[in-house]
Amino acid sequence: MSDALSLALAEYLAKKLEASDLTVHDLARIPGGASRETYRFIARSGGRERRLILRRDPTASLIETERSTEYRAYEAFHKLGLPVPEPIALELGVSALERPFFVMAEVENAFVGSILAPDPYGAHRDKIGQQFWSNLGRIAGADPGALGLADFDGAKDARECWRHELARWEKVIDEDEGEPEPIARAAIRWLKRNPPAPAQKIAVVHGDYRSGNFLYDLNGDIRAILDWEMAHLGDPLEDLGWALDPLWAHHDPSRPAGTIPRAEAISLWETTSGLKADPEALFWWEIFASVKGLAIWISAAHEYATHRNDDPVNAFSGWYCLAYHNKVLAERLGALA
Amino acid sequence: MKPEAGDILGTAADQLMGQIAPNLNANYLQGSLAVQALLLKFAAREYERGADIRFAENADMRALFAELAPNIGDAGLRAQLTTAASTTDTSFAISALNAANAELRRHLIALQVHMEDLGDRAAQKRIWDALNVMAARRVVSLF
Repeated sequence: MSDALSLALAEYLAKKLEASDLTVHDLARIPGGASRETYRFIARSGGRERRLILRRDPTASLIETERSTEYRAYEAFHKLGLPVPEPIALELGVSALERPFFVMAEVENAFVGSILAPDPYGAHRDKIGQQFWSNLGRIAGADPGALGLADFDGAKDARECWRHELARWEKVIDEDEGEPEPIARAAIRWLKRNPPAPAQKIAVVHGDYRSGNFLYDLNGDIRAILDWEMAHLGDPLEDLGWALDPLWAHHDPSRPAGTIPRAEAISLWETTSGLKADPEALFWWEIFASVKGLAIWISAAHEYATHRNDDPVNAFSGWYCLAYHNKVLAERLGALA
Repeated sequence: MKPEAGDILGTAADQLMGQIAPNLNANYLQGSLAVQALLLKFAAREYERGADIRFAENADMRALFAELAPNIGDAGLRAQLTTAASTTDTSFAISALNAANAELRRHLIALQVHMEDLGDRAAQKRIWDALNVMAARRVVSLF
């Protein structure tokens, strides 16, 4: 890995952490999604060493997000005791590493379940499922004001959550659509004609809470919930609908996120959040989840096709995931016709 | 017998995934190469079926327009759909099929909006049936 990047990072951290002897070692890029460059490294200072993660903006970002959002979410939920990496430093300027970045603690001896694997959690499936859906309930139940996140982007009025998010993702489709998408357009019209009940509360919505976005260890303990860059304020059912989406179900939609049966998952979420998952409203948010998915995949395809971001994950998303969500929506909305 | 492009892509994918990726030390490169190999697998299959998918989808949309256009009261839309239904694919180049496909999809969206506005449930069901077939045809298998 680039010595220049290691040196620049060491220089930055030495100042930021007031550790003049700090050095950076073994800096290596690791997989971490197409929207941020992710690196693992060791920081040494005062005879001690610490394993850290660097998340840096790419030259072109897939989904434009407020750069401090992910870091602030880590800060807030780390204090709340939710399993998230400990945030260390946030830099919004470009003088240190050419692009904005943040540094957080590495969660060691933990793994990500590939969304392509048929049974990523094996014998720990149920144990991980209990934690996965309970943790989502804790996020839904938390008070954004008490977390210090009341200024996050998103709807501030419980009646407007659906409209706010639908407008956001429809705009992405409008801007990045390479060819007409009749299923996405029909789904958007359906969502507008059949709005859900107002949100029970305004919550922090993770925005990408799903299988593949958390770390777990060999004991089946969830050690870190990752990728909060799309966090915002909104209806807590939005996260539930996204987490339940069949794309993240490892080919078995009866066990969303590859974990426990759907009814059990929803019940756990209700218990820990103190909220109700009204079936009609949840159905709306599940249709929305697939539309949001389409918007992200259309955007990924656009990034790849225009060479703004050649990460092969973008090509995969714009091909496999796009076709997948089109089929999901055609089946679900077609059944209502 | 010479190897077709699909064979070449598929073999390259197998070699990248089975022989080269496991020997890379860098975690990121290993993951990235595995995704590249998967994409080559997709491309290998697309070489065989890509033109056929688009040809069939275009034919389905034209058949749908031919079936529903005669009952449409809006003269402009009826004429538009009747004309679209009478077109044919004259080249099997993917770019030509895609261009025709995009045009037909625009008409399909207009048709569906029209039927929704009218509240014509039977026509809407017929359109969703067609969309289901189109979506299923485009699904990409991982295995």
